[in-house]
Amino acid sequence: MRPFAYTAARTLGQAVEALADGGPGTKVLAGGTTLYDLMKLRIENPPAVIDISRVSELTRIDTSGAELVIGAGARMADVAEHPVVRRDYPALSESLWRAASQQLRNMATVGGNLLQRTRCSYFRGGSAFPCNKREPGSGCSAIDGIDRHHALFGGSQSCIATYPGDWAVALLAFDAKLDVVGPKTRRTIALADLHVEPGSTPQREHTLAADEIIVRIRVPKTAAGRGSTYLKIRDRESYAFALTSAAVGLTIGRRGVIEQSRIALGGVATRPWRVPAAEQSLIGEQLTEATARRAGEVAFAGAKAGHHNGFRIELGIRTVTEALMIARTRATR
Amino acid sequence: MPTRRNFLRGAGAATALVGVETVGSPLTAAALAGDETLRQPYARRVDARDKVRGAVQYGADHVPARLTHAVPVVATIGKGRVVEFDTTAAEAVPGVRLVLTRIPPGELRSAPFIMAGGFAVQGYQPMTSDRVAYRGQMIALVVADTLVAATEAAALVTARYETEPFAVTLDADGTETLLQATVIPRFPDTVMGDADAAYATSPVKLDATYDGPPQHAMPIELLASTVEWQGENLIVRESTQNANAVRHGVAYELGISADRVEVISPSAGGAFGQKNSFQMHLGPLALAARRVGRPVKLVVPRTQTFHAGSFRPASRQRIRLGADRSGRMLAAIHEIDAQTSRHDLFPMQYTELTGRMYDIPDFRGRHQLVRTDAQTPGYMRAPFEHIAAFALESSVDELAYKLGKDPVALRLANDAPTTDPISGHPFTSRHLAECLRRGADRFGWVDRRPGVGSMRAKDGTLIGWGVAVGAYKAATAPATAVLRAESLGRRRCRVTITVDGHEMGQGIRTAITNLITGNLGVATEDVVVVVGDTRGVPPQHSTAGSWGTATALPAIDAAMGKLREQLGLRPSGPIDLPAAMSGRAPVELQARTKAPGQPDDVWDRVAAGGAAGAGPEYPAFTSMSYIAHFVEVRIEPRIRRIRVPRVVSVADCGRVASPVTAVSQVRGGVIWGIGATLREGGEVDPRFGGFLSASLEDYALPVNADIGDIDVSLIDKPDPLLNSVGVKSLGEVSMVGVAPAIANAVWHATGRRVRRLPIRIEDVI
Ligand SMILES: Cc1cc2nc3c(=O)[nH]c(=O)nc-3n(C[C@H](O)[C@H](O)[C@H](O)COP(=O)(O)OP(=O)(O)OC[C@H]3O[C@@H](n4cnc5c(N)ncnc54)[C@H](O)[C@@H]3O)c2cc1C
Ligand code: SF4
Repeated sequence: MRPFAYTAARTLGQAVEALADGGPGTKVLAGGTTLYDLMKLRIENPPAVIDISRVSELTRIDTSGAELVIGAGARMADVAEHPVVRRDYPALSESLWRAASQQLRNMATVGGNLLQRTRCSYFRGGSAFPCNKREPGSGCSAIDGIDRHHALFGGSQSCIATYPGDWAVALLAFDAKLDVVGPKTRRTIALADLHVEPGSTPQREHTLAADEIIVRIRVPKTAAGRGSTYLKIRDRESYAFALTSAAVGLTIGRRGVIEQSRIALGGVATRPWRVPAAEQSLIGEQLTEATARRAGEVAFAGAKAGHHNGFRIELGIRTVTEALMIARTRATR
Repeated sequence: MPTRRNFLRGAGAATALVGVETVGSPLTAAALAGDETLRQPYARRVDARDKVRGAVQYGADHVPARLTHAVPVVATIGKGRVVEFDTTAAEAVPGVRLVLTRIPPGELRSAPFIMAGGFAVQGYQPMTSDRVAYRGQMIALVVADTLVAATEAAALVTARYETEPFAVTLDADGTETLLQATVIPRFPDTVMGDADAAYATSPVKLDATYDGPPQHAMPIELLASTVEWQGENLIVRESTQNANAVRHGVAYELGISADRVEVISPSAGGAFGQKNSFQMHLGPLALAARRVGRPVKLVVPRTQTFHAGSFRPASRQRIRLGADRSGRMLAAIHEIDAQTSRHDLFPMQYTELTGRMYDIPDFRGRHQLVRTDAQTPGYMRAPFEHIAAFALESSVDELAYKLGKDPVALRLANDAPTTDPISGHPFTSRHLAECLRRGADRFGWVDRRPGVGSMRAKDGTLIGWGVAVGAYKAATAPATAVLRAESLGRRRCRVTITVDGHEMGQGIRTAITNLITGNLGVATEDVVVVVGDTRGVPPQHSTAGSWGTATALPAIDAAMGKLREQLGLRPSGPIDLPAAMSGRAPVELQARTKAPGQPDDVWDRVAAGGAAGAGPEYPAFTSMSYIAHFVEVRIEPRIRRIRVPRVVSVADCGRVASPVTAVSQVRGGVIWGIGATLREGGEVDPRFGGFLSASLEDYALPVNADIGDIDVSLIDKPDPLLNSVGVKSLGEVSMVGVAPAIANAVWHATGRRVRRLPIRIEDVI
C-alpha cells in the first residue's frame, strides 16, 4: 500500500475545504468499498483522502416532501430498508437490495455507489493487460477478448466496459437529480448527465469536477414509482453483478391503459441506459406479454454484440418483458 | 426466522415444492440408514465448539516472536524468461528485509512431482532459473516486517522479460498431445474385449463429445505456511493434507535431512486436493527465513492461488455407447484428452469409473495428455470421476430416452452387482441398486412424467427431474497408530491417539473419537486425537483420495485390539476401560496397518516421503463406494435461470463412522457438484495465457441462495472385506454424478442436451 494522507471531515464545509486543499488526485472517501479496493489494485493512487463518513448532514433521508431526498452519505442498507422507499419506490429499494452483499451494503453509501467503476477483468487484472481506461492509449484487451460481461450499448473503439452499478439505473428511470457542491460551485445536475460514454477518453467516466462532492440525491415522487421493480439477472442468485437488469415503472389508468412508463437498462451499457423509445412504445397500450416483449425488443434495437455477449440481447429483452409483467401487478394494485 | 426453503421461495426460486423431508441433525446412524438399527450413540463434530470459538489453529494462525511476512511477485507474461529485475524501489520500502529473485544454483533444487515418485505439486521449482513457464508463476519473493510493507514492495518489483509463444487451451497451436499409456506405462489404458467391434455391431449407438473447463479448488483457507529455523532445524506450520511430503519436499529442495524438518498441521480450512503435496512456495520461503534469520509467514493471496494451486484440467471426452434394443449395454469406448503442463505428466484415470460403473463386457479407454503452458494440474475433489460421470451418465440418459426406458430402471438393468468388469475380481460390497431404489423412493420418482418439457409448475416454470449415479475408489494407505491410555480415576480414562491422518474439516477427529468411545467405553471428552503432526507418529502420509477414514481407523482398531490383549480383556464386545485401567500405570502401544496386499517395503516408501495409496483394485477384490443423485431443476418460463430446489442423494460408503460429518461431506459434495455444473469455469484468454478469471468475482462459486434442499441418506452397511472396521470412502464419491443428474434434469425440462460445463443461462435461453 502506498502511503497517503487521511483527513476525517466533521462537516460538509470542512470536507469541501479539505478536498480543495488536498491537491491534485485527492479523493473523497465514503464507505471505501470501491476506493480502497481500487487502491489495493493500484488503479487508484490518491495522495490524500478526505473521509466524509462522519459528516452527519450527508446521511439524512427525508421523504416528507414532493421528492425523496436521500443524503449521499446514507448507507445502501438503510435506504434499501427505508419503509417509504420500499412502499413508494420498490425499484429503488430492490436495486440496492440486489447489489453486493449485506456486509458491503452496511458499509457503502448511495453517493459512492454512483461512482463505482467497471468490473472489466482486464481493467482490474493488472498492468499485463492493455486497458485504455486504466492506462490511456494502451489499447483495449476486451474488444477481441472475453467480453461476456461487456457492453452492448455505448461502447467505442477505445472501451466497451460495462457500467456495473444497479442503483444509478433505477435512479435514472425516475429522473433523479444530484445536488453537488464544490469550493465555488453549488449546482444541481440530472443523474442522466452524471455518467458519460467512453468515446476516446474512457478514463473519464463522469462529469463531476475533482473538487465537487455529491451532497444529496433527489427523486421526484411519481405514481410510476409504486408500480415499479428492479429486476436483476446474474450468474447466481445473489452477490454478483448484472448480466442484464431493468428498472421499470408503470402507471396504468382506466381500462388498463398505460399512462406512464419508465425503462432503464443496467449491466448492458457503458453507462446507465434509459430507453425512451421503449417507454414510448407502451403509452396508450395495454400491458400484455406481446406489448411488453415489443418494448424489450425496442429497448435492445441498437444493441451491438461482441464475441461472447450476444446472448444478453435476448436475455435483456426477456428481462424487460419480465420486469414489466412484475410492474404491472404493482401498478394495477 | 425464514427457513431456507421459504427464503428460496421469496427469491422466486421455487414455486410449489413437492413434499421433501430432509434429515436434520442426526445423532445416530440408525436415523440416517432408516432400516439399519445401530445402538451406538455418536459424537457430533468434536471440534465444533472450538471452530465456532475460533480456537482451531490453522496454518497461518501461529505468530512466533520476531515474525516477518513474505509476498510473492508473479510473472505477467504467458511464457518466456526474465532478463532483468529491478528491485531498487522495492528494497527502498521501509521494513523490507529481503527481495529474493533468482536463487543461485546449489541453494535450492526442484523437488520432483508427486506423481513421478516425488513430493511436489509439480516438478518445476520457480525461481531456480530465469524461466517463466506460465503466467502467474512466482518469480520473486519479498520479505518485510509487516504484510503491508511486503505487499507494497512486491508490487514495486519489476521484471523485463523475453517472451515466447505459449498455448494454454486444448485446441491452441503449440500444444503437444501424448498417449498416456506410452509416456506413463504404469497408467495403461483399460481395455476389455473388443469394444470397437462390439460397438460397430450394436443395434443402438450413441456418440457424443463432452467438454469440461479448467476448475480451481478454492478452499476458504488459502495456501499458507509459517517457517521458522531453530538452529539447524526447520519448523513448518502449514495447512496440508500431506505433512510427510511437505517435510521430505522441503528437505530435498534445501538438501538437508528430513529428520531436521518438522511439519505441524493440526487443521486445514479445506484442502480438496489442492493441499495434497509439497507446495512450490515453501523452498524459497525456507531459504528466505534462513537469510533474514527470522520466522517468515506466507499466505498466498487469493488471486495468485489460481496459478499457484493445482487445478482440475480442461478435458474433452468422447463417449461411444452401444446397446441392444432392450437397453442392455454392450460396448463403450471412452476417449479423453486432458490438459497437463509442459513440465509434468499428470496421469489421468477417467476410465476407472466408466469401466466399472456398469456391466459392459467390451470396453476400451484411451487417455491422451495435452501439454499446455500452465502450472501442473492436480487432484481436485473427484478429479476424474466428476467429469467422467458427466459424460457417461449423460450418455446413459440419452440411451434411456432413445429406447423409451426409465432412466432408473435402465441403470438397474445394467448394474454389475458382484464382479468388477475390469479386474474380474469380486467387489467387496456394492449397494448401488439400493442407493437407486431408496433415492427414487425418497425423491418420489414414480410421479415423474418422462416426456421432455412435460412437467410444469402453475406459473409455467419448467420442471426437470434427472438421475445419475457415481462411484469412487475405496482406497487405503499405510498407517501407524500410537495409543496411550491413562487412568483419570475409577470412572475415567484418557485415550490419546496419534495416527497418520489430517483434519481438513472432513471430520477425521470425530470419526476416530466415535470408534474409540464405541470400542473402549470411554467418554468423548476423554479422547484426544493428534493428526497432521510429524512430531507425533511419523510419517503422516497423505490424507487424500478419500482414504483418510479407511486408513486411520483400522490402525487404531488394531491398537485397541492390542490394548485389550495387554490388559487381559475380551477381544471384542463392550468393555469398561476406565475400570480396567483404574490404578494402573499408563499404557502406550503402537500398531500399524496397510492396504490389503501391500508389500512390506511400503513402509520404506512412506518413510522416504513417497505416496503409497492403494486401491480400488486389491489382489483379491475391488472396492468402490457408490452414490445415486436425484435432482430437480426448475427453469423459469421467460428468463430461464436454472435453479436446483432439491436433491436427494443416497450413498454406500460402507460403515458410517461418523454420521454427522458423513452427511455433511455428502451435502458439501452435492453443493460443490451444483457449483461445478452451473457456475465454475476457468476462463483463458489465449492471447495472454494463464487464467483470466483469477478472482472470486470472475470465477463464480455458488452462494447460499443457490442451494435448496439436500436430502442425504446413507446405506450404512459395513464392508466385509476391505478392513476391520468396514468403512470404504465418502468425501469424493459424494460429488460424482451431480453434474449429469443436473444436466439430465435440464434435458428433461427443456430438451437441451448440454455437453459442456458449466451449463449457463445462455445454454437454455
Ligand atoms: C464485492 C463487491 C460486490 C459488489 N456488488 C455490487 C453490485 O452487485 N451492484 C452494485 O451496484 N454495486 C456493487 N458493488 C459496488 C458497491 O455498491 C460500491 O462499492 C459502493 O456502493 C461504493 O460506495 P462507498 O461509499 O463504499 O464508496 P467509496 O468507495 O468510498 O467511494 C467510491 C467513489 O466515489 C467517490 N465518492 C464517494 N462519495 C462521494 C460523494 N459524496 N461525492 C463525490 N464523490 C464521492 C469516491 O471518491 C470514490 O471515487 C460491489 C462492491 C464489491 C466490493
Ligand atoms: S473494456 Fe475498457 S476497461 Fe475493459 S480493457 Fe477495454 S478499455 Fe479497459
